[in-house]
Amino acid sequence: MTEGASTRLLLVDDEASLREPLAEYLARQGFVVRQAEDAAKARSALLEETPDLVLLDIMMPGEDGLSLCRHLSESKNLPVIMLTAKGESMDRIVGLEIGADDYVAKPFEPRELVARIRSVLRRASKASSPTDEDALYEFDGWKLDPLKRKLTDPEGTIVPVSSAEFRLLVAFLNHPRQVLDRDRLLDMVQGREAHLFDRAVDNQVSRLRRKMEHDSRDPKLIQTVWGGGYRLAADVRRRPADKD
Amino acid sequence: MRRVLPKSLLGQVLLAVALALLVAQGISAVLLYRASEQRREMGYANFLAFQLVAQPQIDIRQNTRNGGQQSRQLRVEHTPNYPLRPGETIDTHRVALLRSVLTEQGVVPAKLVVAQRKVADDPYVSERMRQRPDLQQQPDWSQDEVVAGLMRPGEKEWTVARFPLNGSEPRSVRNLIAQTALLFLVLVGLLALLLRRITHPLAALTRRLETFAQTRETDGQLEPSGPEDTRRLIAAHNAMEGRIAALLDEKDVMLGAIGHDLKTPLAALRVRIESVEDRVERERMAATIEDIARTLDDILSLARVGRPTDPLEITDLTALVASVVEEFEDMNQPVTFERGQRIALPMRATWLRRALRNLIGNAVRYGGKADVSLRREGDDAVIAVEDQGPGIAPAELARMVEPFTRGEGSRNRATGGAGLGLAIARAIAEQHGGRLILANRPQGGLRAELRLPTKR
Repeated sequence: MTEGASTRLLLVDDEASLREPLAEYLARQGFVVRQAEDAAKARSALLEETPDLVLLDIMMPGEDGLSLCRHLSESKNLPVIMLTAKGESMDRIVGLEIGADDYVAKPFEPRELVARIRSVLRRASKASSPTDEDALYEFDGWKLDPLKRKLTDPEGTIVPVSSAEFRLLVAFLNHPRQVLDRDRLLDMVQGREAHLFDRAVDNQVSRLRRKMEHDSRDPKLIQTVWGGGYRLAADVRRRPADKD
Repeated sequence: MRRVLPKSLLGQVLLAVALALLVAQGISAVLLYRASEQRREMGYANFLAFQLVAQPQIDIRQNTRNGGQQSRQLRVEHTPNYPLRPGETIDTHRVALLRSVLTEQGVVPAKLVVAQRKVADDPYVSERMRQRPDLQQQPDWSQDEVVAGLMRPGEKEWTVARFPLNGSEPRSVRNLIAQTALLFLVLVGLLALLLRRITHPLAALTRRLETFAQTRETDGQLEPSGPEDTRRLIAAHNAMEGRIAALLDEKDVMLGAIGHDLKTPLAALRVRIESVEDRVERERMAATIEDIARTLDDILSLARVGRPTDPLEITDLTALVASVVEEFEDMNQPVTFERGQRIALPMRATWLRRALRNLIGNAVRYGGKADVSLRREGDDAVIAVEDQGPGIAPAELARMVEPFTRGEGSRNRATGGAGLGLAIARAIAEQHGGRLILANRPQGGLRAELRLPTKR
C-alpha cells in the first residue's frame, strides 16, 4: 500500500505563513491536504469530508485546538496530532489525555512530522480501542501508566524509564510469563524513535533490571531464559486509568 | 546574656516596662518609707517632750480616741543618777530632735541624753511592771524603748521618760510591696494585651510573607487586623502582593506569547527550507533554526522555573540519573555513572532531568567526558558531574551560573548555547530547595554538584 496516495489530512492552523508551506510540503510527500484557518472552518470541512488524520494547532483565536481536539476524539474518533509552540511535558499530557494521539513542538522537522503521521495512522489502523491502551498495568506490586509513561514501584515511588525501556516493558507486560526472544522483542518495540533502539535488546533489559530488580545480577522479575530470550515472571492485571 | 533577653517585640517591651516600673516603684517606696520613719521619729520626740514637760504621775491614761496608745505611757522617773547605763551611747540625732521640740515648749535643758535600749535591760521598767501587773500584758513593753533624760538648769535630778518602740512597722512595708505588685500586674497585663494586638497580626504577616516568597500565590491573603497602623501595613502588603503576582502573571503571559509568536514563523521557516536544493546549505539552515528554538526554550524555561505548575512526586533519583546518563550513552557520548544506594525523594522529574542534561552536556562539551555519581550526604542527595577539562578560572566560578554567561568570554555560538544552561540548572536546584555548587577539582577539571534535600 502506498501510504500517502489515499491519505487525507486536515491541517488546522491560524498562521497562514506556516499552514501554506506545510500543506505544500505534505502534498509533496503524497498526502491529500485540506486546510482550515480556525476551528469553525475545520468543523465545516469535517462535515463535508472525513479526513484520515487531523493536524491541529493548539493556540488559535476563537475556539482553541484543545477544545476542537476533544470534540474530534469524542465524536469522530479521528486520529489527531497536535502542533504546539509550548514544549513542556504538561502540555503533552494535557494533549494526550484529551484524545490527541501525538504531538510535535514547533519548530518541528517536517520529516519527523511525516514519520509521526505514518506512525499514528499505523496504530490507528490496528484499531485497538484507545481505552484499552490507556488501562493501567499492575504486576507484582508495580504499576505502569502507559498514557503518562509513569512506572511506580510497590512503595509508590516513581521510577523514571526511557522511552526504549518503556516500550520494552510494555512488550513484556502484554505477554506475561511468555518467553520472548530477542527478535520478537525488537519487532515489538520498534517505535517511531526506533533509532534510539539501535543498542541490543540485552542492553535495554539490563538497564530495566537495574531500575526494577533488587539485585540485578539475580533478577526475579525479568528472567533470562537459557538459549531463548526473556520472560516476565509476574501476572499482569489491567485496570482503567485513574482519573486524577 | 543574649539568650536570656527576649528577642520579640512583645518580650522586649514588656521587659523594659517591667524594669522601669520596678525602678520607679522602688524609688517611690524608699521615699515613702523614709517619710514615714521621719514622722515616727517626730512622734517619739513629741511624746517624750510631753512626758518630760508634763511629768504625769500615772502610768496609764485612758485615751478612748486612741486606745492603742494608752499602754505606752509610763510615768516619768526622777533620779539623781545618770540615766544611761554603762556602754550605752547617746543618740545625737534624737537628742537634737528632742531639744528642738523642748525649746519650742520653752524648756531649755541643761543636760539632755537620749538612747535606745532593750526593755529587759531597764530595771525601772521591770520595777513598774511588778507593781502594775496589767502592764505586763502589754506587748508594747517587750522589745526596745527610747530613754530620754533631762536635767533642767539649776536642778540636781534627772527627769527620765521612756517610750516603747514596737519595732518598725512591717505592715506599711508589706502594703508597699503589695501595692507595687498590684500596679505591676495591672499595668503589665494590660500592656501585654495591647502588645499582643499589635504583634499577633505582625507575626501572621511575617508568616504570610514567607509563604508568598515561596509560592508567589496570592491565595490566603491576610485580613487587616490589629491597630490602625498594623491594618494599614497589612493592606499595603496585600496590595503589593497582588501587584507582584500580577507582574509575574504578565511575565508568563508575555513569555508564552513570545514563545508562540516566534516559534510559529520559525516552524514556517523550517518547513520552507525543505525546498532548498543544496543539502549542505539546507542542513546549516536547519541547525540555525534549531539553535534559535533551543535558546527560546531555554529562555522560556528560565522564566517558568520559579513558578512550576507540576506537583512534586516521590521519584527514584537513581533511576532518573541513570536514564539521563543512558540518553547520552545512546548518543555515544563519553558519560559514566557510578551508582550508589537507591535514593528516592519528592521532585519534579521533568525539571530535574533538564538540569542534569545541562550539567552533563556541559561536561561533555567543555570537559571531554562526564563522570556522574550519586550519593547521600547527611540529609542531602548529591549528584556530582565531573569532567576533565580546563575547569573555570576561580574568579569566574560564581559568575558562571548567571544567565547569558559563557565560559570563553565570547559569544561564539559554534561552541555552545546562549549561556543559560547553568542558570537553569541552578534555578531548578533552587526550585527543589537545593543548590548548585561549581568547583575546580584539585586533579583538574570541573565538578558540578547538585545538592537536593531529601527531607523537606
